[in-house]
Amino acid sequence: MQKTRLSAVLATFILCMVVWVLITWSFTVQELAAGVLVSIATALFSSRFFVHGDSYRFFNPAKIFSLLGYSVTFFVELVKANLDMAKRVYGGCKAVNPGIVKVPTEMKSDYGLALLSDSITLTPGTITMDVAEEDGKNFLYVHWIDVTAESGEQAGEAIKGALEKGTRRVFD
Amino acid sequence: MIAVRILIDVLVVIGLYFALAGTLGILKMPDTMCRMQASTCIPTLGVLCVAIGGILYAACFLHSADNAVKIAVVALMILFTNPIGSHVIAKGAYKADRRGEKKIRLNPDDYGRDFNE
Repeated sequence: MQKTRLSAVLATFILCMVVWVLITWSFTVQELAAGVLVSIATALFSSRFFVHGDSYRFFNPAKIFSLLGYSVTFFVELVKANLDMAKRVYGGCKAVNPGIVKVPTEMKSDYGLALLSDSITLTPGTITMDVAEEDGKNFLYVHWIDVTAESGEQAGEAIKGALEKGTRRVFD
Repeated sequence: MIAVRILIDVLVVIGLYFALAGTLGILKMPDTMCRMQASTCIPTLGVLCVAIGGILYAACFLHSADNAVKIAVVALMILFTNPIGSHVIAKGAYKADRRGEKKIRLNPDDYGRDFNE
């Protein structure tokens, strides 16, 4: 377990405060003071689980723009996968061909792996089940509802081709 | 104004279309994992389209930034928390199935091969 660092506490505090202001949406002194107290307490307890590595990663505008660009790519993939799944459900007896494929990935950092596997899980048709590391390379086990690829590399291209480029721009 | 109103209705109808797809998928698919796959339609496009419609309604007709921001926060929370839960449920369903009845049919099963379930 990591030690609590001041920079990590500060970054967590700012995130908590932003969420507090967005949810309460009132700017009286009492509300803001309560928010500061709760945020400081939360940041002290949870920053060491929440922040690994560089705490100020997202104070960099380039990173925020790459995250916004990634959300556009992700939305396009989401719409495609949703339409495919809707076709599968409404279109009568279109065959499903489920299987679990082992997909190699280039991502190294914890955050990158988490963002990539969460995005894969959110697209209908694929669920990430586990992450494993072999010889310094990371592999994802993905349940895929319609296995059409022969090898792991082809499956990776079909499942996360566009997503991985975006995630590598945000993390790593 | 009427154009915004029509846009909101269209968004809500699209959201309901995908939510219905997810619900029917839960009933039609053959095993647990495929049912979970179909149900992912509900929190993604189903919720997102209804939430965007709600944000537009709150901003243009109720004139309250308050409610619009709250709906956006709710949609983001669903997007962040849903995949974590569904990944753990999928893993649990797989292990429980392999220990018991072995009903889930998988064509390549790399996970079972590597971990000898």
